[in-house]
Amino acid sequence: TMAGELEGSKPLSGLLSGLAQEAFHGHQGITEELLRSQLYPDVSLEEFRPFLAKMRGILKSIASADMDFNQLEAFLTAQTKKQGGITCDQAAVISKFWKSHKTKIRESLMNQSRWDSGLRGLSWRVDGKSQSRHSAQIHTPVAIMELEIGKSGQESEFLCLEFDEVKVNEVLKKLSEVEESISTLISQPS
Amino acid sequence: MEDCGEPQLDAKSKVTNQLVDFQWKLGMAVSSDSCRSLKYPYVAVLLKVMDHSGQVKNKSFEMTIPQFQIYEKCSKLVIIREMQIKITTRYHTCQKD
Repeated sequence: TMAGELEGSKPLSGLLSGLAQEAFHGHQGITEELLRSQLYPDVSLEEFRPFLAKMRGILKSIASADMDFNQLEAFLTAQTKKQGGITCDQAAVISKFWKSHKTKIRESLMNQSRWDSGLRGLSWRVDGKSQSRHSAQIHTPVAIMELEIGKSGQESEFLCLEFDEVKVNEVLKKLSEVEESISTLISQPS
Repeated sequence: MEDCGEPQLDAKSKVTNQLVDFQWKLGMAVSSDSCRSLKYPYVAVLLKVMDHSGQVKNKSFEMTIPQFQIYEKCSKLVIIREMQIKITTRYHTCQKD
């Protein structure tokens, strides 16, 4: 029966992957019809649609709450008990999926919520700028740093900065201040 | 991620800027539209940079804590070491070819 088709657990794993690609990782072009024809070819679109919506809803709830494994188990158990919920097999597939994809999905959600530019890369070199004074060469070290920054989905901008010794020390001091703040934050109970 | 070894900078941007000011903020993303339980700290930076014409621009960006720590570690170790090397060669007078 069609209901039996939907209850199978094998294609569910693939379905969750497809849903995650579309909902979290920004993959376009993963349509209902694509998922149905690839994973549940013997199920009609009318039957498939609410099933897909249910699975999408469950995955989004889990991701939104960033559930740990206790919360996940409680949540999925509740889903198996409700009218029109999921089967125990399906719960097991969903649980396995979340455990292996949680980190990647969380990273995507973090990126989605960042609207300012992100630091994509940092490269540097130190030059010895030379100035001649009479017959002697005087080398002054200069740090050249290139920052690659960009907003989600947009091309990178490259920012090139030049630092002398004094400036380098100032910046390194500030970086230490940030590190100190981070340590204070981490050591506080949440 | 970043290799703290030999620097290989071939700058993509041809123009270098001077750093005028560096402000930082340690923020915490709590919750958002797509994720009710974000709970991640991040470092936000605001740079004031000046180009050769004297024009000052603001550049701001964010990074995660692990990112920040890697960059900070690499910068400290490598830049300090490199600058020390370059400083000691300062006292050797080398004639240009």
